[in-house]
Amino acid sequence: MEIKIKGLTRNYFSDGRLIKALDRVDLTIPANQIFTLLGPSGCGKTTLLRCIVGLESPDEGEIVIGDEIVWSREKNIFVPPENRGLGMVFQTYAIWPHMNVFENVAYPLTTRKMAKDEVRLKVAKALKFVQLDGFEKRPATKLSGGQQQRVALARALVAEPKVILFDEPLSNLDAKLREETRKELRHFLTELQITAVYVTHDRIEALALSDQVAIMRAGRIVEIGDPKRVYFNSGNQFVADFIGRANLIKGRIASQDGLHAVIDTDIGAIRGLNSQKLASGTSAALCVRPEFISLAEKPVGEGDNIFRGKLESLVFIGEAYEGDIRVGEQLFTTTVSPTIQIAEGDEVSISFNPDHCFLLPVAEDS
Amino acid sequence: MIRKPTLTTTLITIVGFLTVCPVVMLLFGSFSEGFGSFGQFTTAKYIAAYTDPALLEILWNTVIFTFGSAALATGLALFLAYMNTRTNIPFKGLFGVISIVPMMIPHILFAVSWALLLNPSNGILNRLLMDVFQLSSAPFNVYSLGGMILVEGLLDLPIAYLIIAPAMSAFDIALEESSKVCGASTLRTLMRVTLPVLRPAILASAILVVVRSLASFAVPSVVGMPGRIYVLATHIYRSISTGFSADYGKAAALGMSALAASITLIYLYRYLTAESGKFVTISSRGFKPSLIDLKGKRYPFFAVVGLVSFVLIVLPVVVLFYTSLVPYSMVPSAKAFSMMSFKHWIDVLKDPISVLSLKNSLTLGVFGATLGVALAILIAYVIVKVRTPAAGILESLSFLSFSFPGIVIGVGFMWFFVRTPLYSTMWALLIGYIATYLPYGIRPLSSAFIQIHSHLEESSRVCGASSFQTLRKIVIPLLIPGIVSGWILMATMFLRELTLSVVLSRPGTEVLAVQILRYAEDGLWGKLSALGIIMIGISSTLVLGVTYLGRRFSRVEVVDR
Repeated sequence: MEIKIKGLTRNYFSDGRLIKALDRVDLTIPANQIFTLLGPSGCGKTTLLRCIVGLESPDEGEIVIGDEIVWSREKNIFVPPENRGLGMVFQTYAIWPHMNVFENVAYPLTTRKMAKDEVRLKVAKALKFVQLDGFEKRPATKLSGGQQQRVALARALVAEPKVILFDEPLSNLDAKLREETRKELRHFLTELQITAVYVTHDRIEALALSDQVAIMRAGRIVEIGDPKRVYFNSGNQFVADFIGRANLIKGRIASQDGLHAVIDTDIGAIRGLNSQKLASGTSAALCVRPEFISLAEKPVGEGDNIFRGKLESLVFIGEAYEGDIRVGEQLFTTTVSPTIQIAEGDEVSISFNPDHCFLLPVAEDS
Repeated sequence: MIRKPTLTTTLITIVGFLTVCPVVMLLFGSFSEGFGSFGQFTTAKYIAAYTDPALLEILWNTVIFTFGSAALATGLALFLAYMNTRTNIPFKGLFGVISIVPMMIPHILFAVSWALLLNPSNGILNRLLMDVFQLSSAPFNVYSLGGMILVEGLLDLPIAYLIIAPAMSAFDIALEESSKVCGASTLRTLMRVTLPVLRPAILASAILVVVRSLASFAVPSVVGMPGRIYVLATHIYRSISTGFSADYGKAAALGMSALAASITLIYLYRYLTAESGKFVTISSRGFKPSLIDLKGKRYPFFAVVGLVSFVLIVLPVVVLFYTSLVPYSMVPSAKAFSMMSFKHWIDVLKDPISVLSLKNSLTLGVFGATLGVALAILIAYVIVKVRTPAAGILESLSFLSFSFPGIVIGVGFMWFFVRTPLYSTMWALLIGYIATYLPYGIRPLSSAFIQIHSHLEESSRVCGASSFQTLRKIVIPLLIPGIVSGWILMATMFLRELTLSVVLSRPGTEVLAVQILRYAEDGLWGKLSALGIIMIGISSTLVLGVTYLGRRFSRVEVVDR
């Protein structure tokens, strides 16, 4: 089911100051996709989710789920959360401590006065789906974090909603379990063919889980796209920096040629993708991800985007080294293969393919 | 959303009335000549109260009594807590019993049982010792300052233990271990590291015991007054209990200083407990301190702990039960056993005033606790869930009465009630009880509300339940254990209430504890004991209920991971 959001605004007053949690947000969440709202804390992503589910009321705008308007200021419509027919997994899981696993999962069905046999069948199916069959009688307080998370998922799915919402559901798990659960969740959701709206501040979670990512900042959506596009060719400096580690080099567009453009910087001319068709003469920044910078001890031949610099630091981080290379005033962070034989202080060459770096308009405010 | 501020203001008005009214009336009363001339300013009562040559000795007695009790209770609590958390002493289950069971025995009965054991003329223990060692006079006299300190100190031991034991077990063992690594012995470590680090908890416990013994009336009246040893509480009582010449103005003037001392101490206590959180470092969870092996001394130390629990729990009940069966005070012997009968029990149950007091106390317990808990639910809701600045005012107001000495606040209420038709009715007692014991009802309820994370309610709404269904199926079931604990806690406190009641209870509104005090004053120990055992029976049933439900309640909590 598609979710359409038009001109949604939500203001808070805190310490006498007006805070725009949502600032005229327009958004269409496509049906049967995993859609992630990503952003730093306080960017309004949770507020947006809570407006969709009906736990909070916006000040302006309209929310349409499928064909039904669930909230509209103009038309004076407010459908309470219990009538929106959605499923939600909370950050704290919100497993009711006075009920066992079966009662927790059956709650959405018993509330709708479904026949007992049908409830039993559906709960069994949902628990089997999240691989918790046999846990029906377990008291809610005797569950581990990962199990609670799955009970919460089963409860959100049991009534077969068309849309399921997740509010940072993995942030209470430890690192290893988080990774496993993330993969499981991706598997569950792909299997279900359901519209999922997922809120997180963790970029890896967002990239790994989503079909579409919307990056939010200060109550606005800055960019929407599929994870690869957003990562490899961000349209915005804030996004480029937020979604992954980025080397940003400022300069001025010198010339255009097809998909690429050349930017003049303090360390020389650099060629990169110009998807946004920035005109010659405008200020811009070039973004290159650390994993795309290759490193050589000896000077390499002529070509685009080759620089000579000094290895300032080399830190072992497990799967690779992380190296900082200074070229003029510019510092490049790169991923260095653990097999390479270099040491701090060495002169090295770096190079990167023009297809693997991209040009961004310079943001006025960052 | 618009209703919340009005709920808060309504509650502030009610609680404000309950806590501020007696204080204001006490203040006005202390500057008035008498009930008839309320509002005509005079300092005569202050001059009369504070130029009394006897006052100096009374104040001195009060200081010795309160500080002595604090030292005894805190010292014993430290010993017990150390034994429980740090050593391999056997039968640790006993420590849990020590901290809970004494709450079942009303203070006045505990005091009476010690009077029965150690009074100089026919105290059972004194007579036994005289027989065994061929003494010509009683070796102990409980009707002394020492006796008062012994009884009050033992009575306040559980509260001191409940403050010190958690601090002791939360103590970061690394501090001790590093001292031992530096070469210090166990004893030196205890004296130089453990006790200094626990200082805030020790001070907090001592201050709380001082406040409670300052407010205590049972011990000074039952143990102190027969020996003509007066402390502030009994001195106030003396000035209002003497028939026609009852002087409520003087009582109010005296009460003002007790109230001021008490509020100051509670303020200090809250400051210290806020500080102690920073002082006592809480180590990461799952960290079990290594236990000190007492080796051969395990059982001698256990004997001491066993004696303390015997004296606290078993002895009072046994003495009372024995006394309720024998016709007059006598040393247990074959003769005494042959003369046992239920005469006192039958007398008590036939005595109209005893029966009336039983009925009144039960009514106040059940009805008062219901009203009190209803109020506490709303207050806890506002404090925990609404959390506006006004809710902060409500919180401070509702915990103010925690520091009120009962008899003083009773005098304050008396100044108020004589001006209303409530005077000499059960309503007067009811209002006084709720005002004084409200904090005890709010505590379990606010912890119940804290447990209900807003996500638990929101999740139910998303699952399709209306707000009413959510209230019925999620909020109330999670709140019920708190409601039940709060109810039973308040009911037991009302059932045994003495200090307010001695001021507010009038003919027709007698209550159990006051009736027991009357029996004690008249020396009717047999009847007293029979009524006392009935009282213990009722309140034990309620306390056992509270612990059982409390245990079930503690199991119901959201596991974090």
